[in-house]
Amino acid sequence: MQEKIFITGCGQTTFGEKWNQGLRDLMDEAITAAIENAGCTALDIDMVIVGNMLGEVTNNQAHLGAMAASLLPHHPPSLRAEAACASGAVALHTACALLESKKAETVLVIGVEKMTDTPAGKIASALMGAADAEKDAPSGLTFPGIFGLIATRYMHEYGLTRDRLNAVSAKHHKNAVSNPFAQFRSAIPAEKISQSPKVAEPLCMLDCSPISDGAAAVILSTKFESPLCIEASQIASDTVSITDRATLTSFASTKDAMEAALTEAHLTREDIDHIELHDCFSIAAIISLEDMGFAEPGKGVTLYEKDGPLTINASGGLKACGHPVAATGIKQIIDISKQLIASGKSFGLTQNFGGAAATCGIHILKHTPVS
Amino acid sequence: MSFTPASTHRADKSLKQKMQEGTLVSFTTIHHPPEGFESGPRHIGLIKLADGTTVTGQLLTTNVLNLEIGQVVLPKMRLSRINNEGLRLYDIAYDVSTLKTVKEEFPGYMVALTGPSGVGKTTISVVLATTIGKEIERVPIVTTREIKDGDEDEYVHISTEEFAKMKKGNLLATSTSIPSTTEKRWYGYRTSDIEAIWAKGKVPMVITEMNLLQGLSAHFGRRSILSFGVLPPGKSKRQMLSSLLHRLRDRGRDTEKQIKDRLKNAEADLQFFSDRKELFDHLIVNDQLETVIENLTSHVRDRIKV
Repeated sequence: MQEKIFITGCGQTTFGEKWNQGLRDLMDEAITAAIENAGCTALDIDMVIVGNMLGEVTNNQAHLGAMAASLLPHHPPSLRAEAACASGAVALHTACALLESKKAETVLVIGVEKMTDTPAGKIASALMGAADAEKDAPSGLTFPGIFGLIATRYMHEYGLTRDRLNAVSAKHHKNAVSNPFAQFRSAIPAEKISQSPKVAEPLCMLDCSPISDGAAAVILSTKFESPLCIEASQIASDTVSITDRATLTSFASTKDAMEAALTEAHLTREDIDHIELHDCFSIAAIISLEDMGFAEPGKGVTLYEKDGPLTINASGGLKACGHPVAATGIKQIIDISKQLIASGKSFGLTQNFGGAAATCGIHILKHTPVS
Repeated sequence: MSFTPASTHRADKSLKQKMQEGTLVSFTTIHHPPEGFESGPRHIGLIKLADGTTVTGQLLTTNVLNLEIGQVVLPKMRLSRINNEGLRLYDIAYDVSTLKTVKEEFPGYMVALTGPSGVGKTTISVVLATTIGKEIERVPIVTTREIKDGDEDEYVHISTEEFAKMKKGNLLATSTSIPSTTEKRWYGYRTSDIEAIWAKGKVPMVITEMNLLQGLSAHFGRRSILSFGVLPPGKSKRQMLSSLLHRLRDRGRDTEKQIKDRLKNAEADLQFFSDRKELFDHLIVNDQLETVIENLTSHVRDRIKV
């Protein structure tokens, strides 16, 4: 990074079905929480960036930048960033660019999504907007369907069994028990995962992250110091349609963003102690671990079968915390911050992708304990 | 998602390209299809087409257990959905009924003549045997149908039990049952017969029909077949069918009832030529035998270099 960017404040709503709150209420709650624990005041924020994917479809609401800015007393300049499920990561990346260029000194980054007002069928169609509307959608494909295709192929290539895949969601649910912000805080035995209703074979309901409402906000600053800073912020792109890919079992964008992020932070992957990765579907977690180089191709699931020095989705991940699309990328930053402070370790990483990883954002956080 | 007449028109341009045989790269069954599609489980495949492009498409199968990666799938035009304004939207779906996985190696060329009953395939093949007979050998059809007067040595007659046993033992490259009101008939080609002809350094020739042709194409690969469609003379479908009727009656091999069956099948055969254009290299109208033979011989010599 060209500038030292500190994470001075963090705040989020709980994730779940939040019938009493609309888009504005969710943003207000997360912003208030972030400012409360920040080393600055609301008036120090000189830019607002909102990550959001579906406001127009789910809430008939665009123009979310100005809406978020209007929740602050001085209405700072604002903009919105969108990259499907990676909207949170691209909002962060945009904020880092503004801070590095000295266009701003303190930026509020918020990810928000309000999904549960909308009927399931409409949400499924809307989420397909993250895929290719001309190449993927006309066949009747849904997002779980795309990852069903990926899972079938992965099982074919690497011989992963349905039973072993169960380990992923089981671990995420177990981790979420102690997370007060998670949507589902109950442990689920591994065998129950594949017994849940089929969604897109071989994937079952408990392989899929849920539809959720929620918001998460961080305040990044080059001016107000804190023990946590962003060591790397990288995004990478791939084809939007899976029909244009050479392989289904690996995501080029994750690989590219990972290499660039490690280079930027001058680190190797062995330096990383905690990761929050994008487990929109159980199979995605396995592929992401392999693409980031934490496991050999075909061996990602082994990291879920035994505990190692690297913690993976200690928060519960998208599966158990809930996945209010654009809020996820910001919430991962908040979780890694908490984990680094709790463990006293130095480096944590977030991986947040959109669509079938047509966009992937990777952020590396550094913790310098106060002596 | 909106599918307007204009967006549908643009999508239609890709239909022709999607109308190709392909192999299954992956598949899934979606239990909750999106709005606007038929409710209930929907099988969807990621398919690598013959020209190398990859597409997604609905898979036509009733049994998911039959699906296998690497399997050959065949395109079919299907009503996909009806939009809110009542516009009927068609898309290419893929038929997985062949149950065959693709062969990577190229086994050799064969010549296929396909056409409705009575169009003159047998006559053509007999004459063809006199012109390029040294290089080409006819593949016998294994069948369960009863022996009839006028049957040449083209058929190997076996019992239904034997046929079922061969089919189960994967000895048949392709097989089909042709619906008939008078008898239950099975037809097929033995893989060993075709391979034996190749071993002799000759080109196998099959006188076949649509289901067997699809099966051969799936078994040996489309590119190993030099495929000819033989059409009866006539400017319209009705004229073609009427000329077939006269030929079948003149041949005198079938009863009126059998002729009626054959004509019904012939109608489907003619439709097949336009539905499955990609399965044919050349469509030939059988009006003058000499021209047809000349035409065929030149195509065969040109492509196979016998």
